[in-house]
Amino acid sequence: MPQELFVLIFGYIFGFYMAWNIGANDVANSMAPVVGAKAVTIRQAVFIAVILNVVGAVFIGSHVTNTIRKGIVSTDILGDPHLVLIGALSAILAASLWVNLATWKSLPVSTTHSIVGAMIGFGIVAGGFSVINWVKLGAVVMSWIISPLFSLAISFFLFKIILRLILSKKNTLIWALKLSPFFIGSTVFIVVLSFLFKTPLGKNLSVQGPVALILAFIIALIVGFAGMKVLKRLVKESTPNGAEEIFRFIQIGTACYVALAQGANDVANAIGPLAVIYFLVKTGTVGATVPVPVFLLLFGGVGIACGISMAGHRVMDTMGKKITALSNTRGFAVNFATATTVLVASKMGLPVSTTHAAVGGVMGIGLARGVEAVNLSIVYRIMLYWVLTVPVAAVTSMVIFKILLFIL
Amino acid sequence: MLMRIPFSDMFMTSPFEGIQEHAEKVKECSWVFQQAIECHFSPRCTTFEEFRDEVARLESEADAIKRRIRGHIPKRTMTPVSTFLIFRYLKQQDGVLDAVEDTLDWISYRRKTKIPEALEKDFALLVNAVIDPIEKLTSMVSEARQYFKSYSEKQRVVVKNIIHELHRQEREVDKFEYDIKKKLFNLDIDAVSIMYLVRLAEIIGSIADHAQNAGDMMRAMLSK
Repeated sequence: MPQELFVLIFGYIFGFYMAWNIGANDVANSMAPVVGAKAVTIRQAVFIAVILNVVGAVFIGSHVTNTIRKGIVSTDILGDPHLVLIGALSAILAASLWVNLATWKSLPVSTTHSIVGAMIGFGIVAGGFSVINWVKLGAVVMSWIISPLFSLAISFFLFKIILRLILSKKNTLIWALKLSPFFIGSTVFIVVLSFLFKTPLGKNLSVQGPVALILAFIIALIVGFAGMKVLKRLVKESTPNGAEEIFRFIQIGTACYVALAQGANDVANAIGPLAVIYFLVKTGTVGATVPVPVFLLLFGGVGIACGISMAGHRVMDTMGKKITALSNTRGFAVNFATATTVLVASKMGLPVSTTHAAVGGVMGIGLARGVEAVNLSIVYRIMLYWVLTVPVAAVTSMVIFKILLFIL
Repeated sequence: MLMRIPFSDMFMTSPFEGIQEHAEKVKECSWVFQQAIECHFSPRCTTFEEFRDEVARLESEADAIKRRIRGHIPKRTMTPVSTFLIFRYLKQQDGVLDAVEDTLDWISYRRKTKIPEALEKDFALLVNAVIDPIEKLTSMVSEARQYFKSYSEKQRVVVKNIIHELHRQEREVDKFEYDIKKKLFNLDIDAVSIMYLVRLAEIIGSIADHAQNAGDMMRAMLSK
């Protein structure tokens, strides 16, 4: 049918646009600590982000998407395929519009939350307020507060530990080396756990519960001590700022993880509504969950990669100059806190934004007196837009839905 | 620019950046000050006013830096030390500059009273003694910034040693000032000149006081 084809083409265009936006802004934001700490150059950061985001999207990204995100909206409204088709299109249009406005006005909004909001709006207009699961929605709202706070607490304590056990010592290099298995190990532990719990790849291995924990622990132990051996060779005794140098190498590892996690997490979000449209056009029906074909994930991954390589360079350049205050030890703490928060939150089924977690991480470092100046009033502004994003995207989605219903 | 960068918006220009810049200006000023005083001491001095203008120019530049620092720390800023302490420190560092300017102003009021020959050496010693602590301020600020980066005990000791040094130099300046005053009253010169010279020695001495106070403020910033 030409009408469905028309919707599908628009879905592709705006799905790509969302992915492009995630690449240009969200990815660059979460790669900021590494660039700022000069652990990698911008060129390297772009390279890492492009490769690992595509890998993350295609190989470990969710191959099944909840039609209406995370069960916030009941599936009762899915009866009429025509409505769902228009709804998914209006959701993706609304999210694109809001993200576009945010980028134009430099508003700190999350792409993930824009899509969540837009899908909620479509749910309300299609089925009324009764289809909204308020408890689930409440959990989402709570996650805006909890995820940055959680990240803040982790980075605060992690930096305090680094301060107490390494930086305040006479020979920081020796202590950084001694404790490096712990830091590398904890990073690896989190990475392995998230692979086992979160990814289809891990689920196929069907390693669960305590077995997974033990497995992750053993791998962390091995990698941690192997990492120490490597670091001993890489970092020379005479390096003036030994501890920072050690953390420079550890930080590259955590940065890779953040890029990978972002690919896995955010691509499915950007592509979600598109997957619904695609499935509908293909089969004519839709269920509570929809399979996401690999080529769509690749499509999203390429979109993100385009965004990073076309605009991410500029964003990272601006940021790299602005956040030179973030040294390797601090950058590591921020990255670690971000990755851990993203893992825990998504394990709990909360649509968490990587950027939000990273912002919380920086605040933690600021509270631990780790940075010369962190602007707290910006944080209030950021929080305002976190709260605004969902209702604004929802209302926009509702309006577009009504208009599309009138036209189509 | 079309981008959303909440992450980097959180980072702002550090107030220490400005404090360091301000300290550099103070140092630059101290060199001109030294030249001005030396010129005044010499029998054929024609360029004193030029040096004084130069100091005034540097002072207004430093003032601009000071205002910039004060204007760019919003109330809700997380810094390693309280912003209150940062302002107090800046006030003392600025006090050094004011004292330098006051000295040159004081000299300009009564150019005809030359330094008596018997006191020439003492005044030269006094002036040299206040230049040292001024120059110390820049290294103190940069070492302190290093400390706030690493929080290493070793670095903390480095800064504390500079502060001790400032104290020692201030005592030395006090001694020179005392010597000058004591000798002055045994000289056979008119009362106005004595008053003029006593005040001159006191203002020059106050330069070191402000440097010492800046050191004390820095000490407060270092407290754990």
